[in-house]
Amino acid sequence: MIAVENVSHRFETSGRQSHLALDDITLEITDGAFVSILGPSGCGKSTLLYIIGGFVKPTGGVARVQGRAITGPGPDRGPVFQEFALFPWKTVLGNVMYGPRQQRIPRAEAEVQVRRLIDMVGLKGYENFYPKELSGGMKQRVAIARTLAYNPSVLLMDEPFGALDAHTRTRLQNDLLNIWERDRKTVLFVTHAVDEAVFLSDKVIVMTRSPGRIKTIIDIDLPRPRKRAELLLDARYQNYVVAIERLIDDTGIDEAAR
Amino acid sequence: MMWLSRLLTPLAPLLACIGLLCVWQAASLALDTGSFPTALEALRAIPDILGDRGSLINILASLRRMAIGLALAVLIAIPLGLLMGRSRNVAAFFNPLLMVIYPVPKAALMPVIMLWLGVGDVSKTLVIFLGVSLPIIYHSFQGARAVEEKMLWSGAAMGMSASRRMLRIVLPAALPEILTGCRTGLVLALITMITSEMIARQSGAGNILFNAMDMAQYDTVFAMILIVGAMGIILDAAFERLRAMLVRWSDAGRAIPLSYS
Amino acid sequence: MARRHFPDMLLGLAPILMLIALWQVIVWSGTAPVALLPSPFSVFARFSAQLLRPEFHHEIAATLMRLFAGFAIAVVLGVSIGLAAAVKPVVDAVVKPLVRILAPVPKVALYPALLLTLGFDHASKISLVAADALFPILLATYYGASMVEQKLIWSAMAAGTPRAQIIWKIVLPASLPSILTGCRIGLVISSIVVFLAEMITSTDGLGHMLVQAARTFQTVDMFVPLITISLLGLILNAALHLLRRYLLKGFAEI
Ligand SMILES: Nc1ncnc2c1ncn2[C@@H]1O[C@H](COP(=O)(O)OP(=O)(O)OP(=O)(O)O)[C@@H](O)[C@H]1O
Ligand SMILES: [Mg+2]
Repeated sequence: MIAVENVSHRFETSGRQSHLALDDITLEITDGAFVSILGPSGCGKSTLLYIIGGFVKPTGGVARVQGRAITGPGPDRGPVFQEFALFPWKTVLGNVMYGPRQQRIPRAEAEVQVRRLIDMVGLKGYENFYPKELSGGMKQRVAIARTLAYNPSVLLMDEPFGALDAHTRTRLQNDLLNIWERDRKTVLFVTHAVDEAVFLSDKVIVMTRSPGRIKTIIDIDLPRPRKRAELLLDARYQNYVVAIERLIDDTGIDEAAR
Repeated sequence: MMWLSRLLTPLAPLLACIGLLCVWQAASLALDTGSFPTALEALRAIPDILGDRGSLINILASLRRMAIGLALAVLIAIPLGLLMGRSRNVAAFFNPLLMVIYPVPKAALMPVIMLWLGVGDVSKTLVIFLGVSLPIIYHSFQGARAVEEKMLWSGAAMGMSASRRMLRIVLPAALPEILTGCRTGLVLALITMITSEMIARQSGAGNILFNAMDMAQYDTVFAMILIVGAMGIILDAAFERLRAMLVRWSDAGRAIPLSYS
Repeated sequence: MARRHFPDMLLGLAPILMLIALWQVIVWSGTAPVALLPSPFSVFARFSAQLLRPEFHHEIAATLMRLFAGFAIAVVLGVSIGLAAAVKPVVDAVVKPLVRILAPVPKVALYPALLLTLGFDHASKISLVAADALFPILLATYYGASMVEQKLIWSAMAAGTPRAQIIWKIVLPASLPSILTGCRIGLVISSIVVFLAEMITSTDGLGHMLVQAARTFQTVDMFVPLITISLLGLILNAALHLLRRYLLKGFAEI
């Protein structure tokens, strides 16, 4: 279980001012849950993810995994960053192999798994390409494969499908759901797309404009396994999407009215 | 903690200086050979050198040659570099020539040039000019090449002639890079000056160094090293001030000192 | 790619050939006495003749040995100090002011001190080369390492890389483009400085050849070491360029 308890984060910015990015966030994510975070740009979604990843120490409150306070990153929590962050000096294969090799899995064994993953994200044949030779969407898929390769039990995904075309995005959403249904990983998924959040998640967290607070948490009560074609026609799905979109609109109006 | 670091930061170079002198002092005391004076002995010898009319005039003459060589280089190298940066053909024309000249130590041309032009000011100034030109050409070239095409287009759309665009758009846009080149050139001019004087053995700071060494006046040798080192640090710091003033709008303030001669 | 560069190369050869032609014309016209300006043919003839002589090989070997020794020391020290300063604030606090002070000091001025403390043999020349090549490499490493993208480091940490290994596994390869740029500058400086040191005091090496020829007014022989060092510089630069291309295959612009 991931528990975020009264977490706040204040950035020291230039000119000796400070900026409150997160304000008193409290939430619990049960093991195996698929949770999405929605909110306006700059509301602190990435920051919250970094705190759970152990990359950033919150200036207030505490975040825990399995009851223990998070003190740093670990291979139990795998991030997929908004900016891909691939190693430019390694090929696609080298990038995806990095995690398993760090876990001291023998090269031959790791390579079999890694090639299967690369195939899954649709990059078979690109194993020996360098990141600079890939398109934005392809890089994003390598980044996802690289994180999946060391088999973290929690996935922290920051707009992982943001750079993808609609077609690949749909395919990878299905693939992600398949992996999740098979391995029951905990997934924390930041996105701007409301339909994507509803389609994938058990829970959708809506955040307010900066300073980021939790506005509402909505349980998505739709049957699994989810089939896209069926869901799109389902009135409950449509209602969720419309309701959440309205909530996010409100968040903007709130701010303007103040 | 905060106030301590705020107090220490501007003083750090000074502390570093004192630290280096202390290490020197300790090393020379530990080694205790006749040819390695202590830092204090060297420092004490400085007033003697600077007080001596002959050496002072010598050093000032060196600095004058350096200034002239540097000024000439700036006048010729900047326009050439800018042209190379804006014209592919000009760049292709000069690049290989510069590549061939690049690894040749300019001060090593001293014996050859001395044969032609004698050992006077002209030879030494020419060598400094040659030594300094290359980095200035190179940085002006890089600076001009990086100027955004769109800026020039909008200039052309406003009806600026090609030469005006060069003067009004390319030159200011490339200025941070050019000044980086000039800063490198300045340190380089000092190095070339000293080296050519060491080789020519006629006059100047480099000559004083080796004369003192021949006469086993080791205090003077090390004092002279301190003087030359201080000249490098002072010139560099002064130019850095000037540069920061001229290009306040730019943040590209990092120079990799290319100290070759 | 190669085809497009071909006319560029011809254009670039032109000024070099023109300079040699001008040189020849001056010699023919008789405005300069041959004792001061030998013809380019006699210089190139002497250069090719020298290339076959083992004594000349010995001079080149002596110069190259000092050059590589000094350069290697500079690379090892520059890269390790640069990396350490970029990742450890404590090291940074000590290194930064020292570099501020030492980088603009003309290192040749230290040469007499090196001669007096290390003797007139190889050690003093190698130290001078190392001292001169050190700072560009150190600074390039420092800037490269401080610019490494935070998320690369985070990605590696999340994959289970121990903190102590991050510097070798991530920071070093990520700053390699910058380090190699520094090495390129350092290499040119090394070739220049080794020659100068040999000119000032030495019993062998290319610089010594030049001084020797100058003392006996053998102008033809004065040009030979100059041409040699220029060619050596070109060859070393080309070799480094190939190494760079190989090591930086994955990086965007080379
Ligand atoms: N390193 C930093 N220093 C100072 N302020 C920062 C830093 N990183 C983020 N911020 C500020 O914190 C706030 C939240 O940033 P964050 O990146 O978490 O937003 P986000 O919700 O992920 O936005 P987006 O949807 O655009 O990715 C922003 O207002 C940003 O300006
Ligand atoms: Mg974000």
